[in-house]
Amino acid sequence: MSIASRALLENTKLAWQFYRQEYHLPQQRLLRWTQAILLIFMLALTQSSFSVQQYLTQNLQGLLGADAQISQRQPFTNQQVNDLSEQVKELVATQQIKINFSHQESRQYISLKAVADSYPLQGELLTATSLTGNTELSLTGPKQGEIWFDSRLFASFSLEVGDIIHIAKQEFVFTKLIKHEPDRLMEGHNVAMRAMINIADMAKLNFSENLINYRYLLALDSTQLSSLQDWQQQHLPAAQLVHKQGNHPLALFWQRTENFIGLASIILFFMAAIAIEQISLKHQSKEQYFSAVCMSLGASKGTGIVVSILKWCFSLTLLLPIALLVSAACHWLIIHYLTASFPNLQWQWHYGLSLKTLTFVSVIFALFYLPVWYSLLNSSVGKLFTSAKSTTSNLGQKLVTVAVLVIVVLAYSDNVLLTMMLVGAMLVTILLILLLSWLVLTIGEKLTQNLSGLLPFVFFMMKQRLVSKSTQILGVGLSAFLLLFTLMLMHDLGKTMSSYQRQHDGNLMVSKATNDQLSYLKNWASENNISIRQNKSYLQAKLIEINEKSLAEHTDKPSDSLATFSREIRMHWNDQLPSNNRLLSGTWWQADTDNWQQISVEQEVLTDMGLKLDDALTFIISGQRYTFTIAASHEFKPGNGSITFWIQMPTAALAHIHANHYSMASLEISELQQPLLAELWQKFPTLRMVSLQQMTERYDNLLAMITKVISGFSMLIILLAGIVILASINAVEANEQKKNSIIMSFGFNRTTCLKLNIIEWLITAMIAACGAILGTYLAGLLIYKSQFSLNYQPDFVWLFVTLFIILTSVTSLGIIASRKSLNSSIRQLMAE
Amino acid sequence: MSSTTPRCNTQASYIQLSNISQSFTLNDAKVTLFEQLNLTIRQGQSYAIMGPSGAGKSSLLMLMSGLEQPSSGQGVYVKDDVKESHESSLEALRSDIGFIFQQFHLLPELTALNNVALPLKLRGDKEAISKAKLMLKKVGLQDRINHNPNELSGGEQQRVAIARALVFEPRYIFADEPTGNLDENSARDIANILLSCCKDSNAALIMVTHSQVLANKAEHIFNLTHDGLTQIKGHNAKIEQLEAACR
Repeated sequence: MSIASRALLENTKLAWQFYRQEYHLPQQRLLRWTQAILLIFMLALTQSSFSVQQYLTQNLQGLLGADAQISQRQPFTNQQVNDLSEQVKELVATQQIKINFSHQESRQYISLKAVADSYPLQGELLTATSLTGNTELSLTGPKQGEIWFDSRLFASFSLEVGDIIHIAKQEFVFTKLIKHEPDRLMEGHNVAMRAMINIADMAKLNFSENLINYRYLLALDSTQLSSLQDWQQQHLPAAQLVHKQGNHPLALFWQRTENFIGLASIILFFMAAIAIEQISLKHQSKEQYFSAVCMSLGASKGTGIVVSILKWCFSLTLLLPIALLVSAACHWLIIHYLTASFPNLQWQWHYGLSLKTLTFVSVIFALFYLPVWYSLLNSSVGKLFTSAKSTTSNLGQKLVTVAVLVIVVLAYSDNVLLTMMLVGAMLVTILLILLLSWLVLTIGEKLTQNLSGLLPFVFFMMKQRLVSKSTQILGVGLSAFLLLFTLMLMHDLGKTMSSYQRQHDGNLMVSKATNDQLSYLKNWASENNISIRQNKSYLQAKLIEINEKSLAEHTDKPSDSLATFSREIRMHWNDQLPSNNRLLSGTWWQADTDNWQQISVEQEVLTDMGLKLDDALTFIISGQRYTFTIAASHEFKPGNGSITFWIQMPTAALAHIHANHYSMASLEISELQQPLLAELWQKFPTLRMVSLQQMTERYDNLLAMITKVISGFSMLIILLAGIVILASINAVEANEQKKNSIIMSFGFNRTTCLKLNIIEWLITAMIAACGAILGTYLAGLLIYKSQFSLNYQPDFVWLFVTLFIILTSVTSLGIIASRKSLNSSIRQLMAE
Repeated sequence: MSSTTPRCNTQASYIQLSNISQSFTLNDAKVTLFEQLNLTIRQGQSYAIMGPSGAGKSSLLMLMSGLEQPSSGQGVYVKDDVKESHESSLEALRSDIGFIFQQFHLLPELTALNNVALPLKLRGDKEAISKAKLMLKKVGLQDRINHNPNELSGGEQQRVAIARALVFEPRYIFADEPTGNLDENSARDIANILLSCCKDSNAALIMVTHSQVLANKAEHIFNLTHDGLTQIKGHNAKIEQLEAACR
């Protein structure tokens, strides 16, 4: 064995021995916790994220059922279909409609799809004849007179093959169970129950044309795609074209989620960095001391560094099995929750990716720990005689840590803007906290100079120890800021979700009724003594251009509004500002206005889309282009009914626009009147109705999911914040202990030390709190709009209450954790 | 029982230890440091306790200052003020004691001035800084008041520590090897400063030391060994007999 390898072996043995010895030391325990949390989070996150990305890609490839799909609300004209067929290799027509389906005593709102005989175009159409029966490959869709149901619909209606079904007085025979449709992608995360019929039967059902979504599945090669896109832009601008080379329809939704996850990881990284920085203060002096002792015994400088690196490696390696197990479990849970949005998403462990993540996180940990090893280069035997125990913070070293962290996060983050915003907000918070620390302590000391009691002393001491105190305040302040910002963001996201569930003035909402349906509904309501609370008319319009630019050209930021504008929206008309709206800017039109091409846009949409007054919006309504100028903006005002519209125009516009009119209405139906609805559904299967219960159920489920995510993530942040505080206390514990002993040597007792400790923590918490509030406010201003399309309206009561809770916990934790430093004695000073 | 009179160092007070024993348990074995020890410490006088390492000198210091309880025996603190004398347990000594350590134990973040002002600030003294300056002048450090401990030599640091221990006018100063970390010259200077400052403040000085030179400067010298406490030097005529009892 060579000398070098023998030395390495000896060093490894030594490192192992020291690792075992130091295993139970508080700073080692804190380091393990920090590393474990970050490892678990990163592993679970990358695995889940990758699974979703993979799912979306496969989904697009496998579930489009065509090379491209084109769809719109109006039927395609013969000319358009001819043009289309000339540009592609093959095309198959399909139609979709949402109907209320009732059978015997049960009813359900379902998605009915009609397919041509040549369906499917690509992919596999799988069917079965019973839930447990064998899955077969069907080469065509249902024949005329046949109807197929998906498994859930089949199960919920207790159907049997051969049953006769009635839809809009037409008879169908239930023949097959749908197991898989190759073109389901366009349904997005719609999980409505499904049924399928032949396209020829759709005509017999006599549904109003404008309730049907017309879609063509197209087979083409990549060279045909661009000419098809040009043709669509020119002839069917309101149509939606999806192709395999394009983005998944859920991509926007996922992009926002990824933005949030990205932010979450950055926050966790920062917290971990603060914790490790605080922990390493203690490690540094210990390792330096050890290295100096080694050198005094004849070892080289390298020995101390090698032993320290090996010890660190042991610590990380032994953490891996636990981290891998827990992250696999977390990954499973995340996938389980995500199946609500991404059906059939499967749990799968990606080995290569986990190795990559582990390497990446390990490198980051090593970078965080680098200052400790660097300090060993400067250790000398002389340190044993001088201040080997000094834990004076080195500002330069801290700045290096911050710089390394920023570079690492920037390199890792795929959203540089978001990262820069958070880093910017953090830097401002750091400066604010430093400034506040200096101001509060200086002014506090000056003001209390002539007072007696412990407070002046605490101010004096804190001011004198400004540098070391600021480090602790910074640690606590940054943790509080990150925690507060995360909680606020989650709170506001949750609130935004629940605000959709606006106050109801009825327990049944009719979301789309034709004029015939509405007049029948009115009669039916008065006959049955049912009150129609509200009733508002609208027409359907598809926004295609903003200031003569397409939506894609106008903005590439994902938002709810943009997602909604990719489909048709409801356009309301009136002459007066509705009683449940509030005018925010511009002027509302007069009843007798000649200028019919003006609109009012809801404020949130205006902000979301980056619109302003006088912008020109071009809509396609019933195949015609209409351009309107934004004349006003409005917002919802609760208390006068829940039906409100994003876009409203003067009634005068109706004279110029030829389109079908629909109505939204809200009704109040008692429990006893519920069975009367069956009659309505039989008469009008396409009447879109949703009960309050159904609506709330959907939101409740969504909110429950968000709450779980919030709680899970908050737990991680809280854990890390706790570690930061413990680490910051642990870092200065020896100093504090000495300070308390010295105070006792002046003739004071432990109670005085405890009181001083409490006052000091309260001041620390107060400065940290102010810094955190200001930092959070700034981060909110910077990040909300740009990254989450949320308007930042800080709820200061909520902020302060949350902050108060955080800081009470911080102070209590600080006091409890510093009790060890109170357990000091003069004898210890003598013994040194 | 405790004193209600304001601090007045011109009055005499004393600490009396009667039949004090101290022992502790280490690895299930009882270790006895000393037994049946009697000692009286008078305010305004200086005492040196010498003896081999491990004899219990520091423990005796802790007992005398009331910071630790003896295994057996009794300690009382008799405090005379203008009208009457109070007798109380040694715990009442708390506010009347100051310490000086071998390692100085100055707070590294504070300047010499602020280190000295510390005990006064804690007591809410509004003239803390001016008093601290005066005290530093007394120990010859008027030119170093704004220096941090790491900018001072060992001797200077110990002078700051002496100033800090005396600035709040305690009746008793306990010093643990106050010159143990210093060279000969500095040790001599420190010994002189320490004794003269204590004399000026009418404070008792109780030193634990291995230095015969330092001990010789004290009015009373005791030798603590496992056989007990023996007085080597002292003015027994003026005060009651100081006895060292053997086991």
